[in-house]
Amino acid sequence: MGKRSLPMSVLLYGGLLFWLVIASLPVVWTAIISFRQYIDAFSSPIKWVAPFTLENYTRLWIEKEFYRNFLNTALVTVFTVTISLTVGCLAGYALSRYRGSLGFWLLLIALMFRAIPHSSLLPSFFTIFDALGIRNTYFTLIFVLVAINQPFTIWMLRSFFVNIPNELDEAALVDGCTRFQAFRRVIIPVMWPGVVTTGLFSFLLAYNDFLLSSALTSGDKMTMPAAIANAITAETEAFLMQGVAGAVSITIPLIILVVVFQKQIVGGLTQGAVKG
Amino acid sequence: MKTKSFLQFVGPSVVMMLLLLAIPMATTLYLSVRNCALEMEVVKVEESTPFGKKETITQRAKLGPDGRAVEQCEFVGLDYYRKVLGLDKSVSASAGQPPDAGGQPARAGDPADNEFLGALKFTMIYTFATLPFVLLIGFLLALGVNNVTNKLKGMFITASLLPFIITPVVAALSIKWLFRDNGLVPYVLSNFGIEVFWMAQAWSARLLIIVYGIWHVVPFAFIVLYAGLQSVPQDALEAATIDGATRWQKLRYVTIPHLMPLFVFITLIHLMDAYRVFEPVIVLTQGAFTTSVQYLTYYILLLENNPYKASAAAVLTLAGIVVLLIPLLVRTWREQKGGV
Repeated sequence: MGKRSLPMSVLLYGGLLFWLVIASLPVVWTAIISFRQYIDAFSSPIKWVAPFTLENYTRLWIEKEFYRNFLNTALVTVFTVTISLTVGCLAGYALSRYRGSLGFWLLLIALMFRAIPHSSLLPSFFTIFDALGIRNTYFTLIFVLVAINQPFTIWMLRSFFVNIPNELDEAALVDGCTRFQAFRRVIIPVMWPGVVTTGLFSFLLAYNDFLLSSALTSGDKMTMPAAIANAITAETEAFLMQGVAGAVSITIPLIILVVVFQKQIVGGLTQGAVKG
Repeated sequence: MKTKSFLQFVGPSVVMMLLLLAIPMATTLYLSVRNCALEMEVVKVEESTPFGKKETITQRAKLGPDGRAVEQCEFVGLDYYRKVLGLDKSVSASAGQPPDAGGQPARAGDPADNEFLGALKFTMIYTFATLPFVLLIGFLLALGVNNVTNKLKGMFITASLLPFIITPVVAALSIKWLFRDNGLVPYVLSNFGIEVFWMAQAWSARLLIIVYGIWHVVPFAFIVLYAGLQSVPQDALEAATIDGATRWQKLRYVTIPHLMPLFVFITLIHLMDAYRVFEPVIVLTQGAFTTSVQYLTYYILLLENNPYKASAAAVLTLAGIVVLLIPLLVRTWREQKGGV
């Protein structure tokens, strides 16, 4: 890349540093004020140093029983990811091996489904689920999230399966396996990198969902993002500070995820792109 | 693969999408031309008070034999579409809105007569105001990171992924707290003599939503373009250097054309996602100054409590995204048919 002059270097590193500050500022500042009392968190002039307290967290997790919301989120995301991947792997594999035009149509329709704004589904979800009496249940939310994730999941898994050489399962078929046996014995053992990456994105979609989760759950079934919705309108000091602590609590698992799985996330983001 | 086993493999996935995406969409269409209202009956209530009997005449919902309120449904055609689009000037034209939906105050700064166009307008402003910044900043970051030493790259990529993977509602809340009265940003700005109450005016609330949008999507554009930069043909760059091309010329005639498909890809994804903008709208303005199409359906459904009108808004929303995506879908189609 040739030699760089000093001003260019300063511009380069300065620019990147500037972005890093912008990228992390909202999260970092929220984390800082979550350990403060309200009067220290929002004050004029701003306080750079303030007494440390865990009160917001203890109030939120113990008094407000935020651990319930945490467990709800854990339950919903685990089942959503598991079902999404199971159903998605079958479909993604078939889409990578089938030559007919039916496959192209299915992918095109899935692409259009990926674009639908989720709130458009809510009026009929309310009407249908109320009629069946299944609105505020884990079951309903999990299957809604699986369905919402399907279009993206099958696109992504298909692009991984396309890279697994045809000869592998063809050989198994010649040896007398059925399609399903070939899939189970030959493809499943080699498909894990793609499944892990797709699973990560499936997890993010389920974990981060706010619109559907908050509309379809209430009371003790609420997930963490749904529960934090109270903080949107909260202007009382206690409520607001619990919201701040909640925001940090939701973000910590995500930060761990990025640090551990950075390679897979970056790989997943570029997967679809590089193929065009 | 044979068609039969193909169908068996995709079966569960297709059933799932059919039941929870396709059928609800069809149901939305059906709901949007209907209206149901509680059947009311007039009752006399007799109260015995110490000062004698008091009779009042009041209305209450009629209960069916199963103890549920009886609803009367009718076909109303395009009434709700007219309402959402503001073509229907008389406020209570179609009979039988549920009584509890009657007294909703109109949102400030949002003329009640063209709700959908207002929401669509801001959604479009948001989409096309964020897109150029997302592409430009993402591209500059990709070029920048491509030029730093390997040790810093991994760290930088991890840190800059944060805005992209963080829960959107949490991110929007964090930005709100940052810009809130007595928050960090107003304090820093006041040192430069700038005093803005960010959440109290339409222009600044909208600006914040757009800032959030850029902040949230830049990492995605950056990662995709950075990956693209790794596959720029090195021999073409070397040939250009030998021919005496400047750095700018190499960028303009080799690198950017090579990345063009990726710019198109990011644009496609961003169009879809920006059209769905919701969390920053509800968090940063609570619908006070501006709405988006998703927020409009949500608001009508949950706050006006009217699933029929919400369905009409939803159908219009879906029509909007189809119109927006048609050029891109046609393009994908041609490429597929053109034999890649």
